[in-house]
Amino acid sequence: MKIMSDAKKIENPTIMSRKLLFLHKIPILKTRKFWDGLKEGKIYTTRCRKCGQSYYPPQADCFKCLASDMEYFEIANEGEIVTFVASYLVPQGFENYQIPYIIAIVKTSNELKLMGFIEGIDYKNIKVGMKVKITTKIQPDGFPAIVFIP
Amino acid sequence: MSRKVAIIGVGNSKFGVRDDALLQEIAFEAVKEALEDAGITQKEIELSVVGSVGTRMYEALPAVPVNEYAGFSGVGLIRVEAACASGSAALFTAYNAIASGYVDIAIAIGAEKMCEIDTSTSTAVGGRGGNYLWEFHMFGTSFACYYAFYATAHMNKFGTTEEQLAMVAVKNHKYASMNPKAHLQREIKLEDVLKSRIICWPLKLYDCCPISDGAAAAILASEDKVKEFKIEDPVWIAGIGYASDTSNIVRRPDYVGLSATVKAANIAYKKAGIEPKDVEVAEVHDCFTIAEIMAYEDLGFCKKGEGGKLIEEGQTYIGGRMPVNVDGGLKAKGHPLGATGVSMVYELTRQLRNEGKNRQVPLKKYIALAHNIGGTGHYGYVTILRR
Repeated sequence: MKIMSDAKKIENPTIMSRKLLFLHKIPILKTRKFWDGLKEGKIYTTRCRKCGQSYYPPQADCFKCLASDMEYFEIANEGEIVTFVASYLVPQGFENYQIPYIIAIVKTSNELKLMGFIEGIDYKNIKVGMKVKITTKIQPDGFPAIVFIP
Repeated sequence: MSRKVAIIGVGNSKFGVRDDALLQEIAFEAVKEALEDAGITQKEIELSVVGSVGTRMYEALPAVPVNEYAGFSGVGLIRVEAACASGSAALFTAYNAIASGYVDIAIAIGAEKMCEIDTSTSTAVGGRGGNYLWEFHMFGTSFACYYAFYATAHMNKFGTTEEQLAMVAVKNHKYASMNPKAHLQREIKLEDVLKSRIICWPLKLYDCCPISDGAAAAILASEDKVKEFKIEDPVWIAGIGYASDTSNIVRRPDYVGLSATVKAANIAYKKAGIEPKDVEVAEVHDCFTIAEIMAYEDLGFCKKGEGGKLIEEGQTYIGGRMPVNVDGGLKAKGHPLGATGVSMVYELTRQLRNEGKNRQVPLKKYIALAHNIGGTGHYGYVTILRR
């Protein structure tokens, strides 16, 4: 995103900082069914047993009625594109992803919205309102993803 | 009953790729200018509030070196973070300390260095400015992606065009070319924007603000101190509004406006006792061109969906119905995250004092508005100034 043609770019003397690497171990105990589901092509999310409030992304605690008694349900496997982008940026950690990668937000028939990749289609041929099938995949780098197929 | 709070001194460092200076050295430029502008010394300051996101910097607690270097060690110190609205949050914190009667003089310093790391790391840090686990982790959603979601939806719903987005960039570069403190001090043409490389479709390079280093400072004082210092006719903070929105953007009802802007603006207008039409000059959060168009609408400068038309008619230039970002905005002045909100107040304070020189907006009511967003509407601050 840096605009390269900065007028009169002079490199000033600098020294290098010491290296510092962060890799986090992220607890998934309370949303485990979601992460397991992704491996089987299913997207599970939560609904409060007490007040009926649905959540996506899944969460273990209901902020509406403050109960912590959730049931999982499977999200509909069809939806409609609400908005989308085609990204040419390569953030650290995504070096092996092909650019542009297309990310969309899709509304499912159960009125929840999900984010996911759209693959195998030029972004110029995608339209808001387009119907998609919702599935999952494991990326070559081992990370799971939600994928929309037009 | 809260006390009145005035802005008695402002300062702004040069924005840009500042590989000539450390964070605290850049902050010093802003603090020195603000102290000299107020005509006071550090010993008058009772509280120092530093707004800094800090996630791209090697100093993990940036307020501490900034405070020491500027000669404030020993003074009460708070570091605040509200993503790209950290500067406004710092101002709000300093304001509250004075309005509540706890202190009489406080300084709000916004400071950020963003250019010391590579762009891929910066993109990955910025992309964490929403919800890492459920969004960035799987999809690598950069900040440009978030605003691009809004651009696609706005264009689809209201027919807003890529040309209208580009017009925002052309305007803001024009004013940055007249601002010696701006990062990108050059004019550009509509074709330059339209032909620039795609960053995250539909946003192109010139739809995006640059990655900048910079700092700004504002010294706030109670009415008692204003009288004691015999300051005539200062700029007053007339109202501050604040709001937030969902961390996960999939939990929002639509992508054509920022509800944090609408809510924060309503609070600020009510506190100040004004309406949108009373505002004569505004600084809005144009991190991407679509953000400025949505801000016009969400702040009530035009109807929802008519933001594209407002820039197309030239109404947000000086001489138009509502001059916006006449210092170049985030888009061309630069957006050193924590500095931005304070820098907006720097510009507006100077405008309200008629110190805008060749960029001065003609004023009758002397009412100005600063709109500062953190994340993609994750935080919203609207500050109204009056003289």
